[in-house]
Amino acid sequence: MEEKRIRNFCIIAHIDHGKSTLADRFLEITQTVPHQKMADQYLDRMDLERERGITIKATAVRMQYKPAGEEEYRLNLIDTPGHVDFSYEVSRSLAACEGAVLLVDASQGVEAQTVGNAYLAVEAGLTVIPVVNKIDLPSADYEDTAMEVADLLGIDPAEVMAVSAKTGEGVEELLAEIIRRVPPPAAETGLPLRALVFDSTYDLYRGVVAFVRVAEGMVRKGMKARFMVEGTAVEIDEVGYFSPDMISTGSLEAGEVGYVITGIKDVTRIKVGDTVTARDNPASEPLPGYLEPKPMVFAGIYPVDSDDFSDLGDALDRLKLNDAALTFAKETSKALGFGYRCGFLGLLHMEIVQERLEREYGLDLVITAPNVVYEVEERGGKVTYVRNPSDLPDAANLDEVREPYVQATILVPPDYMGAMLELVKERRGIYQDMVYLSGRRVEIRCRLPLAEIVVDFYDQLKSRSRGYASLDYEHVGFLPGNLVKLDILINGEPVDAFSSIVDRGRAYDYGRRITQRLRELIPRQLFDVAVQAAIGGRIVARETIKAKRKDVLAKCYGGDITRKKKLLQKQKAGKKRMKMVGKVEIPQEAFISALRVTREEAGR
Amino acid sequence: MRLYVHWPFCLSRCSYCDFNARVCDESRMRGYMAALLAEIGLWRGLLGRRDTALSSVYIGGGTPSTLSGEEISSLVGGIAERFGLREGAEVTVEVNPATWVAEDYAAACAGGVNRLSIGVQSLGDDALRLLGRKHDAAAAMRALAKATGSGAASVSVDLLLGVPGGDAASFLAGLREVIAAAPQHVSLYALTLSVNSPMSRAVRRGEVAMPEEDEVAEQYLAACAEMEAAGYEHYEISNFSLPGHACRHNMAYWRREEYLGVGAGAHSFLGGYRFHNTVSLLAYMRSVSRGGLPPAEGLEYVGEAEGRAEEIMLGLRTARGVPRGILAHGGSRLGDLEEMGLLAAGGGRVHLTARGMLLSNEVIAELLPA
Repeated sequence: MEEKRIRNFCIIAHIDHGKSTLADRFLEITQTVPHQKMADQYLDRMDLERERGITIKATAVRMQYKPAGEEEYRLNLIDTPGHVDFSYEVSRSLAACEGAVLLVDASQGVEAQTVGNAYLAVEAGLTVIPVVNKIDLPSADYEDTAMEVADLLGIDPAEVMAVSAKTGEGVEELLAEIIRRVPPPAAETGLPLRALVFDSTYDLYRGVVAFVRVAEGMVRKGMKARFMVEGTAVEIDEVGYFSPDMISTGSLEAGEVGYVITGIKDVTRIKVGDTVTARDNPASEPLPGYLEPKPMVFAGIYPVDSDDFSDLGDALDRLKLNDAALTFAKETSKALGFGYRCGFLGLLHMEIVQERLEREYGLDLVITAPNVVYEVEERGGKVTYVRNPSDLPDAANLDEVREPYVQATILVPPDYMGAMLELVKERRGIYQDMVYLSGRRVEIRCRLPLAEIVVDFYDQLKSRSRGYASLDYEHVGFLPGNLVKLDILINGEPVDAFSSIVDRGRAYDYGRRITQRLRELIPRQLFDVAVQAAIGGRIVARETIKAKRKDVLAKCYGGDITRKKKLLQKQKAGKKRMKMVGKVEIPQEAFISALRVTREEAGR
Repeated sequence: MRLYVHWPFCLSRCSYCDFNARVCDESRMRGYMAALLAEIGLWRGLLGRRDTALSSVYIGGGTPSTLSGEEISSLVGGIAERFGLREGAEVTVEVNPATWVAEDYAAACAGGVNRLSIGVQSLGDDALRLLGRKHDAAAAMRALAKATGSGAASVSVDLLLGVPGGDAASFLAGLREVIAAAPQHVSLYALTLSVNSPMSRAVRRGEVAMPEEDEVAEQYLAACAEMEAAGYEHYEISNFSLPGHACRHNMAYWRREEYLGVGAGAHSFLGGYRFHNTVSLLAYMRSVSRGGLPPAEGLEYVGEAEGRAEEIMLGLRTARGVPRGILAHGGSRLGDLEEMGLLAAGGGRVHLTARGMLLSNEVIAELLPA
C-alpha cells in the first residue's frame, strides 16, 4: 500500500479513562476482530492486565478501514500503557507514530499524567487529536473538560471531539478525523533499511519476536540483517503485522509497523531501542534510540527454597525480554541466601513482576522492602551507586549520600490544596509553585525525594483528596540528603535484608517503629530475642520478643496420636519454610512488611 | 491385649466441648450397649487363636457414668467373658461427679472396676458454671470422697488449667483441696476450646477472655512443684501419680503397644495399623446390628519412619523419655535444647524438663526426623 494511505497513531490516556475500550471499538468497526470474538479489552492480552484493567505492554495492531466513498486506509494502532510507572513505554510508542489521540474522561477531567504525556507527544512532533470520552455517563461534563483540554493544548474548545467508547458514539467520526489530520509516514523506501525495535516479546518455539517500525527501506523475509547497536547478525525468518494475531506478509515497507522473527533465542541479544539494518546495504547510523528506561526502585527477590535459585534466574531472563525496564543482578544476603537485586520503574511494576514470577513460573518468593538507588560519594571523590541499603559504606568513609528526586505535578480541586501541601511537607518535599487551571483545578509543582513516594505516596494522595488528586512526575537526578543507614540486629546479629537508608531527622522514629513491627511479625521463640535498630553501631531502639513459655497442653491418648503426629509434622515443615537468622526463625512476610508498614504509620 | 471402650453419651454438653458425645437417651443407650457387646464378640472371633486376655480396660467417653454402677459392672463382665481379664488387670472408668451415688461406686468396684477417674475439672463454682458442668465444687469433693472410699485401688482426678476468671492462686487452692483428699493420681489439662463449642463462640464475641499464655504457664509450673512436694511423680506431661499408680493403660499408648478400641469413633492400633470406627452413632449401630464390624476410617499403616516419629513424639511426653540414639539426626539442636533447660539427659536417655513439657510441641517438632 502507498504510504499516503497509512496512518500510525497511538492513544494517550490516564488510567481508567477508557483507552482499551476505545481500542476495542476501533477493532470492531474496522472488522479487525469479528464481533463475536471480541473479548473486552482485546489488546490487553496478559491475564494480569485484564484483571487489573491496565495495559502494561505496548502492542501494535494493523486495521484496514474504508471510509464511505473513499479508498481503503491502513491504520496502525500502537497501544500505550497508562500508569506513571510505565511512562517510558509511552515514549517508545510515540517514536513509532505520527499522531496521538489524547483521550480524557468527561467526568474526571484532565489528570496530571494526561498533561505529562500530551506534552511528550507535542514535543515528539505528533499531531494530537483531543477527545473527550464517556459522554454517555450521567456525570459527564463535556464543556468543562473540553475547556481544560483546549487550555492544555492552546486550541479552540470546538476542536475537541466527543465520543463514548462504550456505546460507540462518535467513534467513526474519530477514525475519519485520524485519517484526515494525522500525516502519513514520511517514508523513504529507496534508502537502506532502518527499522526501530520499539518492543519485543518471547515465543517459546520461535524465540524473540521484535516489534518494529520501518523508518526507511524495506525488511524482507530471508534478508540477512543486523541489529546495529548490539551487533547481532541474523537472518529474517518471518515478517508480518498484528491484526491482532500475527499475520506473516513477507515484507514491511517504510512507514509500516509490524514484527520480525529471527530465530534468536537469547533474550539479551535483541534490545528494545536497537535498529535493524540490512547486511548487504547497511545504513550508516542507527535511528535515535529511546529514552533508556532507568529503574529507580530496587528490591531483593529470593527463592524460599534455595533449590529454586536457577529457576528464578531463568524466569527473570524471560520476563526481561518482555520488559526492557526490568534489571537484575545476582546478590547474596546473609539472611536470605542467594537471590537477585531487581530494579523496577516503580511499585506497580515491582508488584507485576512479582505476580508474574509467582503465577507464570510457579515460584515461591521472599521479597525485601523496596528502596531507591543512592548516589554515594566516598572520601576521595569516588562515586558509586548503592542499590541495596546494606551496601552503603561506613559513614566514616562517606563524603555525601545523594538520593533521587522527582519533579512532581499534582492536579487537585482547590478544596484539597491544603491537604496536599501538608502531604508534600511530610514527605520532605520542596514546594515550588501553584497555578489555577480553569476554576476547578489547581496544579501544584514540587520536588520530592523518590524514596518518599515509592511506598505509599500515591495511596495517601488519593485518600487525602477523596480520590480527586492525580500525580505525574519525572526524574530530575540526585540531590544531597542528610541520610543514614539504619541497621536491624536480631540477637546482636545485623540482618542485611532489614537495613534501610533513612533521613537522619526521622531515623529514631523509624527505628522505633521497625523494631515494634518486627516484634509483632516474628513469632515467640524458645528464648528471648532482642530486636535492635542501630545507626553506625549506636543502638537507637530496642524491643524484646519474650521467649515462648507454653504450647497447648493437650492430652495425648490413643485417639489423639495420628492427629497429633500430623500436627507436629506440619509444625516441623512450617519451621523449614522460615528463614533462620542465627538461631532465630523469621517468617517470610516479615522481610517485606516490616519496613513498609512502618512508613505507612510514620506518614500519619 | 488392651481395650478401650467408648461411651458417647453425656448428661449435657459442656461449653468447651464438641467431642464425640451426645446427650443421653435411654433407648439409644440400651441399643448402643448391645452393639458394644456385639462388636466385642465379633473382634473375639476375628482375633482367632490370638491371646486376647486383657491387661487393661479403659471405659471412657463421653460420660460412662451415665450408666449405673450395676450396668458398668455387667459391661465389665461381658468384656471379661469374651476377651478374658488377666490377673491384676487395670480396669478404669471415668466418672462425672454429677452422676453416681455411693451404691454405684460400690457396684462398679464389686464388678471388677479398680480405677476411678473423677472429672472434677475445677473447684471454683463460677468456673464450673462457665464450663457448663452439672455439679458444683462441693459435689465434686463429695464424689471424690465416695470414690476414695469405694475400695478402688486407684482414684484419679482431672483438673483444668487456665479456666477464664481464675488465677494461679485460686488454681493452687483447688489443687491443694484435691491433694488433701489423697487421690493416687491427678491429670492436669490446659483448657482448650473446640472451635465449634459454645464457649469458643463466646470468646470470639468478646464475652469471655481466655487467660494469657504466661498465666497458664505459671499455673502449670506451680502445680508441678506442688504435686512433687506432695510426693506425686510427674510421669507424663499431663499426669502425676503416687509411686506405683501410673495409669498402665495410658502408658501403653505412649509405649506404642497395641490396643483395640470399641464403640463409635474409638481408635485402634493393631498389627501396625492405626484406624478408628466411624464416629456416626447410627452408622456404627447399623453395621454391628447386621453382624458386621463398624466402618473403619483413617486407616494408616505406620511404617518404620513414621513409627520412629511416633516413638519420639510419644516417648518424650513421658518422664522416661527416649533413648538418645533415636535423636541422632537432631544434631546440634539437641545440645541447644539442653542448654536452654528444655531437655535433660541421663542414663543414655533424654527427657523433657518441666519447662520443656510446657513447650513439648516446639521441642518435639524440632526433634522429629525431617
